Amino acid sequence: MKILNKNQLETILNKLAEEAEVFVPMSKGNSSGFYSWKTRNPETERLMLDALNVYLSPKNIGFPQTEKMYSIKQSGPDVEIKETFEDSDPRIIFGIRACDARAITCMDDVFLTRGYEDSFYKARRDNTTIIANACYNPGPNCFCAGMGIDPTEPNADIIIRDTGDTGYIWETKTTQGEQLSARIADLLEEKELKAPELKPFKTNVEYAGVAEKLKSMFEHPIWEELSQTCQNCGICTYVCPSCHCFDIQVKMWGDEGYRFRCWDSCMYTEYSAEAGGGNPRPTTKERFRNRFLHKLEFFTERYGYPLCTGCGRCIVACPTGINIVNIIDQVKEANVDV
Amino acid sequence: MSDKCSCEQPLVPVMVEVIDIKDETPDVKSFYCRKTEGGVPFDVKPGQCAMVSQVAIGEGMFSCTWQEEQEYLQFAIKKVGLLTDELHAIEVGQKLGVRGPYGNGFPVEECQGKDMLFIAGGIGLAPLRSFIKYCFKHREDYGKITIIYGSRSYADLCFKEELFNEWPAIKDTQVYVTIDNPEEAWDGHVGFVPAYVEEINPDPAGMIAVTCGPPIMIKFVLQSLEKMGYTDDQVITTLEMRMKCGIGKCGRCNIGSEYICLDGPVFNLAQLRLLPQEW
Repeated sequence: MKILNKNQLETILNKLAEEAEVFVPMSKGNSSGFYSWKTRNPETERLMLDALNVYLSPKNIGFPQTEKMYSIKQSGPDVEIKETFEDSDPRIIFGIRACDARAITCMDDVFLTRGYEDSFYKARRDNTTIIANACYNPGPNCFCAGMGIDPTEPNADIIIRDTGDTGYIWETKTTQGEQLSARIADLLEEKELKAPELKPFKTNVEYAGVAEKLKSMFEHPIWEELSQTCQNCGICTYVCPSCHCFDIQVKMWGDEGYRFRCWDSCMYTEYSAEAGGGNPRPTTKERFRNRFLHKLEFFTERYGYPLCTGCGRCIVACPTGINIVNIIDQVKEANVDV
Repeated sequence: MSDKCSCEQPLVPVMVEVIDIKDETPDVKSFYCRKTEGGVPFDVKPGQCAMVSQVAIGEGMFSCTWQEEQEYLQFAIKKVGLLTDELHAIEVGQKLGVRGPYGNGFPVEECQGKDMLFIAGGIGLAPLRSFIKYCFKHREDYGKITIIYGSRSYADLCFKEELFNEWPAIKDTQVYVTIDNPEEAWDGHVGFVPAYVEEINPDPAGMIAVTCGPPIMIKFVLQSLEKMGYTDDQVITTLEMRMKCGIGKCGRCNIGSEYICLDGPVFNLAQLRLLPQEW
């Protein structure tokens, strides 16, 4: 089998960075996320390949927090628009975990299927190679297995497996992965190492059956109770690797400007506020309910699997301790005859 | 689910020029647009929508009026907010952005051979008008046509020429109009639409009812129709919610697992009964 020696890691990242933008998990200030290897500041940014989940997911790589769509120039009644994108330079996400890799599958389904292909997303996605880091020791808030994901088999072009020894097993899964592996073939070693055993999860939850049960729980009093502490701050949607809602807005300076899209959050009033003054989700309860039903029921009905990948980020980030695992448990325990 | 779209940039509009603007009511205007070189950027089916933008201000989803000859795009737009205020202020010659068409549209073929009952309130007549015009164009494919329409006042009635002159003159067609409160010059019916529907009491046998209007009107019309014996698959409505992308990706216009922009906006009541009551 192919082995990536840990002492060769930087050499390989440097080599890959010659031909593509390589995003790796790194600490940055008091946060962490996926940042460019090439332009890193070694003083302040440290590679965090061993961390299970960095604070910010890699969702901005395929779906930037803000992206220009087209520029606008007006003169009197005349208006000219010109596309300003498309950023389709080759990129590599290195060291992504199974939960975040699943979130990319979610994004692919949302942006590339069901009638329309989102050209902005597609331009980047077609040129992105994913190298995932298999997990063997789940963290305190990890529950991907409960959401139907095998942490040791992430959906990726290449999987690396930390043998705990001197190297990572380098396992190529797709044609796109083969092309990349070929480029660094001389830096990989041929050796037999054994992947570790998956340790037990500390957070256990079983999603099976939840989508079906939720079908009859839209009017259930549970939403009033569970949403009590929610402040509608939106941090859960911001850190979530699979939350894909966006807004489209315009920015003008006099007669010139551009239209852009940016992440939006279903936690905000404006999200569904209508011009005539109506809002189908006027209070926290309706917005909270819609978010969790989207994650756990609606997305499953539409795409066949839930929009939660068990990464645990929202559990860590929520200022009032709202915990999706707890919500799943309560839904399972709820009496639906009320 | 829609067929795969052929448009390469579904989120980028095409520019059209406003060639005519017509006042329908004090707060509703019809806008007629076409490409500067002539023609339309896309054909629409009755009940489909398009994103219209006064590009430097914003975009909004509007029902696109079906035209027999698709020579221009037509939108009847009520002034209710930031974008529509701006649209009401533009003049002929203004360039607007349009993208679409979006949504499923009315099931015009499935309704062939049926008697049609159209029930609308206020600007809700705009989407139904596409279906009504389509029925009149293919008059022999449909049975009797009954149109029940109401607005707050006489001035607020849209499309008066069609309503009072053109449509009632068409074979096997009856048009009933009501306004909410009495007015001196008005000798027609006074009262809300749902009550008027019950008063007229059109026989459900062989009938398809299509309704659109303010949410509160739709709610009561649906109750009235149920009371009158209409089954859930005989009742069609067209919904709206705030939209941004129009292609089922930006998230906000969902009702349960369905996106109004993509899977709707037209649903029959049997379909809506399967979804959460959030419409």
